[in-house]
Amino acid sequence: MKKESEILLQIRDLSVEYQTEDGIVKAVNGIDLNVGKGETVGLVGETGAGKTTVALSILRLIPDPPGRIVRGEILWKGKDLLKESIPEMQKIRGDHISMIFQDPMTALNPVHTIGEQIAESVILHQNLHKKEAEEAAKKTLELVGIPKERYFDYPHQFSGGMKQRVVIAIALACNPELLIADEPTTALDVTIQAQILEMMNQLKRDLGMSVIMITHDLGIVAEMCDRVAVVYAGQIVEWGTTRQVFKNTYHPYTLGLFGSLPDMKAADEQDFDERRLKPISGMMPDPTKLPDWCHFAERCPYRTDECEKDPIPLRDFGDGHLVRCRRCPVPGKEE
Amino acid sequence: MLLEVENLKKYFQTPGGNLHAVDGVSFAIDTGKTLGVVGESGCGKSTLGRVILHLLEPTGGKILFEGEDITNVGKKKLKELQRSMQIIFQDPFSSLNPRMTVSETIREPLLITKLVPKDQIDRKVKEMMDTVGLAQRLVNSYPHELDGGRRQRIGVARALVLNPKFIVCDEPVSALDVSIQAQIINLLLDLQKERGFAYLFITHDLSVVKYVSHDICVMYLGQLVEKSPAAELFRRPAHPYTQALLSAIPVPDVDHRQERILLKGELSSPINPKPGCRFAARCNFAKPECSKKEPELKEIAPGHLVACHFAENKQA
Repeated sequence: MKKESEILLQIRDLSVEYQTEDGIVKAVNGIDLNVGKGETVGLVGETGAGKTTVALSILRLIPDPPGRIVRGEILWKGKDLLKESIPEMQKIRGDHISMIFQDPMTALNPVHTIGEQIAESVILHQNLHKKEAEEAAKKTLELVGIPKERYFDYPHQFSGGMKQRVVIAIALACNPELLIADEPTTALDVTIQAQILEMMNQLKRDLGMSVIMITHDLGIVAEMCDRVAVVYAGQIVEWGTTRQVFKNTYHPYTLGLFGSLPDMKAADEQDFDERRLKPISGMMPDPTKLPDWCHFAERCPYRTDECEKDPIPLRDFGDGHLVRCRRCPVPGKEE
Repeated sequence: MLLEVENLKKYFQTPGGNLHAVDGVSFAIDTGKTLGVVGESGCGKSTLGRVILHLLEPTGGKILFEGEDITNVGKKKLKELQRSMQIIFQDPFSSLNPRMTVSETIREPLLITKLVPKDQIDRKVKEMMDTVGLAQRLVNSYPHELDGGRRQRIGVARALVLNPKFIVCDEPVSALDVSIQAQIINLLLDLQKERGFAYLFITHDLSVVKYVSHDICVMYLGQLVEKSPAAELFRRPAHPYTQALLSAIPVPDVDHRQERILLKGELSSPINPKPGCRFAARCNFAKPECSKKEPELKEIAPGHLVACHFAENKQA
């Protein structure tokens, strides 16, 4: 466990709702999370789990309306960001905490050169003059592996992988202490993804940044993250070091996620005709009608009546490995 | 062989010159087998699938279906052929008509081909919905009311309703979450077992392709750079591009350590490609002769073909 003093960001009991025509969508339901200095924390889960909503809440970027942070605290070095004024938040965004968005094709402004877009945040936050900001931006470009001569090029002159490097350069321009990366490589090809992940790892080491890595790819978690939170229907269902969660998987949903992956080793050993994946049956519950009890109960192969009574708390399974399941340790897991 | 493709080419005219989307691809698929095609965006894998189905006209080469040359066929024959050759598209959000219900979508091919008498169409639609695991209560639902997994099941049902022999699966699970992806992969595997479909499985996801394919082709800038039985390809990738591609997969195992081969740069332009090996500019082993002479596919082990001048030397 990280020592209290090293904790940069602490989220407590965060709950976020969206008002829609079909009712209130409970996107995030009581999430607790902390991120230590220099640490990479993964948020993993499927579409609609609430991962991006958590990220946007940290930066207070939830569109309101329809979104609303109903409950909780987001402590940044002890200060509650949810209570900060808008000008104060603007100082934090991009300077202390910055974010990389999923789709580099839409995250850049097509009518400005990439250099201007990187320099913009430097000018805003560090009060530099245009010339100095240009120098700083050029340095950042080289940091992400783009020759500084391309400062005056426009986004359409870059390929997808290069655009994502530009997006990362914008995020890094002011040396943030925390970088939130929302599916940073999902839109990219695997060889380009490898380049970007390698670069991010390098930057983490060099700059000592903390990272929140939002992804649906367990392979990326294994590679990048120190600790990981598995998110399902707005709740963390399993939380621990990456090793704990991957090696001693407890929660049936996490087990289901691993079971759904085409196992490369099994494909070597199994006969073709016997191949079958083990998907999780059913679908994510309707976020406007979440049950009061375990959100995963209706898809869970180990469900009992007990599971559908009360809310399930996170329980410690040793050394800070938290699991939200009444029935764990799951029968048959040892096999 | 059910389907054979010989030296297939598809060029697009662009203001900058000829774009070589598919450039001299040859392979064959047998009934009940899956040929996986992997490659990154822009390598021509989707174009390949569409050319085989005549959704795009080939620029050169030959397509043989059940031994018959179907490269240049008339409209009437083409309609007949399309009953036997179908496609499942990537994005179940844009490949379905938003104004058609589930039953209308599945019914449409039957109405067009008049393959089934009118009074039996309803029964056939129901049967198809059972086959792909769509509940009967959804028969009058519209696509927007359904999630991605169910929409993709409609896409599968629509492709299967004419009882084809060959199906192009163009990234059929890429838009889906892993747990749903697994459901659709199982469905496709089961259907193949029961009905002996041949699949051309196009994807960029290497773990999926290994799981579903008997043979795998690796494409780079319109050409096949390697072709091999699935297990062999992963055990002994011979082309430097394949090696880099395989090493780039993030593996969901904390104890997995592997030397990652990082490639230089990105895909070069498929417009008027330079002579020589198209991968040479990014290759870590490139020698001067690579940019002079184009490598041909050579067999280095039974069924394992590689297009690299130095493939044999690198096989330790």
